[in-house]
Amino acid sequence: MKIPNGKRLLVACMGLILSALPVLAHHSFAAEYDSNLVTLTGVITKVEWTNPHIYFYIDVKDAAGNVVNWAVEGYPPNTLKRTGFTRDDLKVGDMVTVTAYKAKDSSSRLAGREISFPGGSKKFAGPAAAQ
Amino acid sequence: MTIRSLRFLAIAALAASLGLGETKPIPRTADGKPDLSGVWQSGGVSLYGEPGLATKPAAAPPVNPPPKREPIPYQSWADAKSKTYTAADDPDLRCLLAGIPRITSMPMPFEIVQTPKEVVIAYESYHAFRIIPINDKLQHPNDLVPTWMGDSVARWDGDTLVVDVTGFNDKTWLSGTGSFHSEAMHVVERFLLNSDDTITYTATVTDPKVLTKTWTTGTILRRPPNTRVEEYECNENNQDAPHMVKK
Repeated sequence: MKIPNGKRLLVACMGLILSALPVLAHHSFAAEYDSNLVTLTGVITKVEWTNPHIYFYIDVKDAAGNVVNWAVEGYPPNTLKRTGFTRDDLKVGDMVTVTAYKAKDSSSRLAGREISFPGGSKKFAGPAAAQ
Repeated sequence: MTIRSLRFLAIAALAASLGLGETKPIPRTADGKPDLSGVWQSGGVSLYGEPGLATKPAAAPPVNPPPKREPIPYQSWADAKSKTYTAADDPDLRCLLAGIPRITSMPMPFEIVQTPKEVVIAYESYHAFRIIPINDKLQHPNDLVPTWMGDSVARWDGDTLVVDVTGFNDKTWLSGTGSFHSEAMHVVERFLLNSDDTITYTATVTDPKVLTKTWTTGTILRRPPNTRVEEYECNENNQDAPHMVKK
């Protein structure tokens, strides 16, 4: 394929921009989750290090003092491992703060974006919603 | 020095700094063919980092970009049918094999194993595999029944591995929501190993029952560092399907 250098550079840059868009293997993000981030703090009650997505569950107190158990979905285990997020990062009993997207069907489910761990470190748990 | 030659030098310097036009020889097998073996990946956070955040060093622009992806050229009835589907109908949501060419762009690695007689591709996503005989006549078996991944045979066209795929069922999608096809689909894939250690992957899709003309798509494949293909049992804990909002 013979393309002038300048044009080739432009095409290459466009390819990079396209390849930087969020890609989900298994399901459409927008069909399940809202695109506005919320922040919730709670105690981890259960961890499912499973495919096609990991889940962990947190007990969060609402404004009336009632405890709601939220399911937080993340990337697949292999993807997380390759980004430096291991199963041992999620410990039952730990208090964590999660930025996440709420399920559109009003169930107590979240797509986790970033987790703040005890001690202050943060890791990405799942993709950003396409804006 | 004229402005024109200065401009040329500036573009050449930029191109050189980005590794464009490099003529490093590609690795070859003992029989002289390009050596495609190894682990490859099209996209995803584990290859490129978090979109918009510098969590991974940016990859250099590829020396040989894939063709621009065009809209799927559906016949008008097929276009209307395509729009009746929602993300809740996606076969991948139910962990079913992604088909070709869609599986190549999944954000998970796959490994190519190459011998003079066949090429094997083992995909992490959906535990798919393809055993592809090298067969200069691109002769498919005559006892095919329609399947999710079809039947693949390959030949070398110079330095490009050309894979001819037919025998598909009509249950996979080509790419996005509703991108259905018929059992008449025929896919020709081209794998071209480049001097920058990328593969330019191109797929041309013909399907006279639903398309008005050939549809071309493609992607750049890179070697994800320190990555091996691992287990992905998609049906282990698949919770998403009941929560999809139809729209």
